[in-house]
Amino acid sequence: MPEPGSHPSPAAAPRPASKQSWLAAQGRLPLAFMGLALIWLLVATTLLVAHPGLLGMPHAAPPVIALTHSWMLGFFVTVACGAVYQLVPVALTTTLWKENLGWWHFWLHAVGVPGMVFFFQSYQLKWVALFATAVILGVLLFTVNTWVTVGRSTRRDVVAWAIILAAGWLCLAVLAGLFLALNRLFTWVPVAPLALLRMHAHLGLIGFFLALLQGVAFQLIPMFTMGEVRDWGPAKAGLWFSQAGLVALVPALIWQWAVLTYLGAVAVTIGLVFSGYGLQQSLTTRKKRKLDPGIAVFLRGGIGIYAAALAGIALTLPDSTRSTAVGGFNPMIYALLGILGGLMPCIAGMMCKVVPFLTWMRVYGPLVGRRPTPPAHSLTHPRLEYWGLGLQQFAVLPLLVGAWWSSQLWLHLGAWLLAVGVVLFLADMVGVMKHLWLPATAPAPGPALKPKLTASQTK
Amino acid sequence: MNVTPETAAVWDALKTIPDPEFGLNIVDMGLIYSVENQDGNIAVTMTLTTENCPSGEWIYEGVKTALNALPEARNVEVTMTFDPHWTPDMLSEDGKRQLGM
Repeated sequence: MPEPGSHPSPAAAPRPASKQSWLAAQGRLPLAFMGLALIWLLVATTLLVAHPGLLGMPHAAPPVIALTHSWMLGFFVTVACGAVYQLVPVALTTTLWKENLGWWHFWLHAVGVPGMVFFFQSYQLKWVALFATAVILGVLLFTVNTWVTVGRSTRRDVVAWAIILAAGWLCLAVLAGLFLALNRLFTWVPVAPLALLRMHAHLGLIGFFLALLQGVAFQLIPMFTMGEVRDWGPAKAGLWFSQAGLVALVPALIWQWAVLTYLGAVAVTIGLVFSGYGLQQSLTTRKKRKLDPGIAVFLRGGIGIYAAALAGIALTLPDSTRSTAVGGFNPMIYALLGILGGLMPCIAGMMCKVVPFLTWMRVYGPLVGRRPTPPAHSLTHPRLEYWGLGLQQFAVLPLLVGAWWSSQLWLHLGAWLLAVGVVLFLADMVGVMKHLWLPATAPAPGPALKPKLTASQTK
Repeated sequence: MNVTPETAAVWDALKTIPDPEFGLNIVDMGLIYSVENQDGNIAVTMTLTTENCPSGEWIYEGVKTALNALPEARNVEVTMTFDPHWTPDMLSEDGKRQLGM
């Protein structure tokens, strides 16, 4: 430790290098993505409640594709991109390369996704392709921005590689989606559209989301629980097994090579087992024993992801229904497990940590030292958080039953339960973001912040 | 942590600065390594939970603001160091209790 009284070195003081990165560090860009994502969550849930029967239809039907894109591109990708803009500079001890590129990405995404969802409903693929081009341009900017940001850091561990790979796969996923739409119009390559659709979906789900989770979780979970990663071996093995599995799955799904599809699915699942083991080992080192609700829900999302992985393996077996058949064990079950059972709790749980923190940074950060400020977690409403996240998870069961039995009753029940959970969650998030415009006036310090020392006290 | 009559007000001021993530003040978090006060010349050496702590800038600025607001403050120096790195073992007993450790 240096002698007390010495000046802080520029490297030691955690100050962003430029005005742009300074603004990014204050969370304006990530918060914009979070706000857009919450609007999309409302839209996507409304679409599902209005048409729950879509989950009993073949997954390649146009309205199902529209619904899927409202959830995946509208909600999940928007949250994940916003989180990357905030977390990558933090995790890699660097600054975002170009905040203005992030804003270009935001507006291209904000314009492109609604157009895509709207024209998917009527299956006007030319218009879909046009709006998809806007989304792709945004994602290209995101990928370049992320890669350069990572490149400016010296960190090259699992976390860094997961971010690099996830950004790359997202780019490929959206390009594959555009190719799929154009190939339907012009038939450049004689490949079954359904095969391309599956490849496109897995590029996004495994390439982007899973890679991101397999890396970022090893940064965030120890940070939020005061734990550590003592052995990075399982984390590395987890990421690389899943990546190898995806590399096998891409051609196997396009050309429908059954054995390679099976091997790819198994490799992804082995990767998940390693990642889960590594995360569990990290959790055993945590000093903060009680998990925050958001973190607990994030971890429970792992159950849905494991279930989806096993369902995915089962779908590759020769006697399973890999077609677009409705009812029974079909790809819709697999998708529900993975997206609503796995991805939803991971993303929503992490939002419960990230959104209050970003809001705190913008509203109360500048007030530190001037007046008492509330802790970030106190911006949330615990009951709304508990019931919102809980109902979202619980809703997966009736939706699965409804999709399996082709039961409209169960699908309606599941959709409404999910909607109630989403509304409560949205109310919680809106309550947090309300502080951006209506900050609490001189909040009282919590017990932990009240000065207690007196001149006579010595520890 | 040594509290003397000269540094008591400084420690009290530091106890008003929160760590936004964990809800503890930065003294109970163990982020303050040393405090000196010689006739209003205040020197504080502190750290953050991680070098890339996203709220680090606000905490650092908040410490300077709070100390400069002290009536006896003439000159305030705040040194940020990551040697040694912060660990949860540096939490005060009160802080550990509040986090359920």
